[in-house]
Amino acid sequence: MRQAFLLDLTQCIGCTGCVVACNTGNELGEDTNYIAIGDHERGTFPEVVAGIDNHRCYHCTEAACVNVCPTGALFQEDGLTRMNADACIGCQYCVQACPYDVPKMVNGVSTKCDGCRDVTRAGGSPWCVQTCPSDALRYGRREEIAAEAHRRASVMRAKYPNAQVYGESQTGGLGMMVVIPEDPDTMGIPADPAIPTVTEAWQDFAQPIGVGAIALTVAGAGVAAVIARRHQLHGGHEHGTAETAEAVAASAAADQDEERS
Amino acid sequence: MSETSVAEVEGVDREGQLLRYRTGQRYIHLLVASSFTVLFLTGLPLIFEPLSFLAANGWSRIIHRVAAVGFMAVPFLYLLVDRQGAKELIVDSFSYDKDDRRWLLHMGQYFLGNAEGMPPQGRLNAGQKLHHASVIILGAGVVFSGLVLWIWAGQLTDVQLSWAALVHNVSMLGLVLLLIGHIYFTVVYKAINAMHTGYVPRTDAELEHAKWVAEMDALKAREPQVPPTEQDPPSGPGNP
Repeated sequence: MRQAFLLDLTQCIGCTGCVVACNTGNELGEDTNYIAIGDHERGTFPEVVAGIDNHRCYHCTEAACVNVCPTGALFQEDGLTRMNADACIGCQYCVQACPYDVPKMVNGVSTKCDGCRDVTRAGGSPWCVQTCPSDALRYGRREEIAAEAHRRASVMRAKYPNAQVYGESQTGGLGMMVVIPEDPDTMGIPADPAIPTVTEAWQDFAQPIGVGAIALTVAGAGVAAVIARRHQLHGGHEHGTAETAEAVAASAAADQDEERS
Repeated sequence: MSETSVAEVEGVDREGQLLRYRTGQRYIHLLVASSFTVLFLTGLPLIFEPLSFLAANGWSRIIHRVAAVGFMAVPFLYLLVDRQGAKELIVDSFSYDKDDRRWLLHMGQYFLGNAEGMPPQGRLNAGQKLHHASVIILGAGVVFSGLVLWIWAGQLTDVQLSWAALVHNVSMLGLVLLLIGHIYFTVVYKAINAMHTGYVPRTDAELEHAKWVAEMDALKAREPQVPPTEQDPPSGPGNP
């Protein structure tokens, strides 16, 4: 079942409670954070816009990180992008490919929010959602989360005319429905992060074609080797065994005798 | 790999065997083969997901890079130990005459193990020329894209990184397919001994590389005497 987070930036108070809960619940090291809280101030007086930034994995449906990951350490499940750190080889392709600049390298391997896989698969809510004091975070079925996000955005438009829901269409639909008081550009979020064709070509074409071509060539070479050996045994010059021209001649004579008989 | 004397002259004839690969060339081949095998095995988990556990924790990446240094050193070492051989290999690989073109038209017969009646060939037959030319081009592709991924990955955009990785993977795929072909012809024409000892039976060389044998004979006819070797030629078949 496709799940999603609700992140309401009109309600977030920047308390960093989600950061602490995430770090504690996921037992992250000192230098690791899956969530980064900040603030922004854009525009010039009197048209100043200010607010809280809550930067985290957006759980793309057409996820560039999953596409470029060569080992399957990054994968999709329940509508979220999961991370199996044990399978990460530290190639950093996901770090470079992510349009939101989310995965970070820690101790030689990539690390990012995996939607609290163990907790949510057991029926619980992610750590960040459990601790949010301002109801800015929720987790549940994506349809329900989307409906709630739209309800909140419509209420907020009374105060913020540009309030909207971010995440319905971006990269095939995000697993993070974000209620934002201003347009994405003002919030510093890419309005339509596109995954380059060449990035998609990686896993969709290069890998399966490569493995298939190698397997087919090995099989073809094996069949051809059997045919070639039969040709050599039945009349042809068996390469490498004839030490002298006389041996070749003798072999040919023997073959002719065999044909006559 | 057997030792040969210092005075190695290509085409030298010892008891029906011609010297085809000098010691330096054979060691260079050994370096290419060993480093490429390690690069392939440590790179395979990246395109074949069931093996990805072999790449976990980054050990395979370290081994991959050590082997990459050996692979990248090949052209420099080749020029160092056998400059003439390296130069001839490059020039020959990109030079095709009328016989080569005719040979390519009939390569199906050769592919199925029959070299009888094929157009006469020089030191490299047209298939070997195509093979070596492809290895040079794809090798350059895999080396340069590999260096980009190794050194400049942090400075690349996602598109640039994807292109570098795609070029690296596709070049390596091409090299692996060439390797399969190389092993195929080595088996079908029982050529492993030639790279082990350096010598090929003269009869095999006359059959497959008639122009090369004639060239060597003409050279020998012009020169007074081939310097003697300290060791008897090894016996056994082989000529890729």
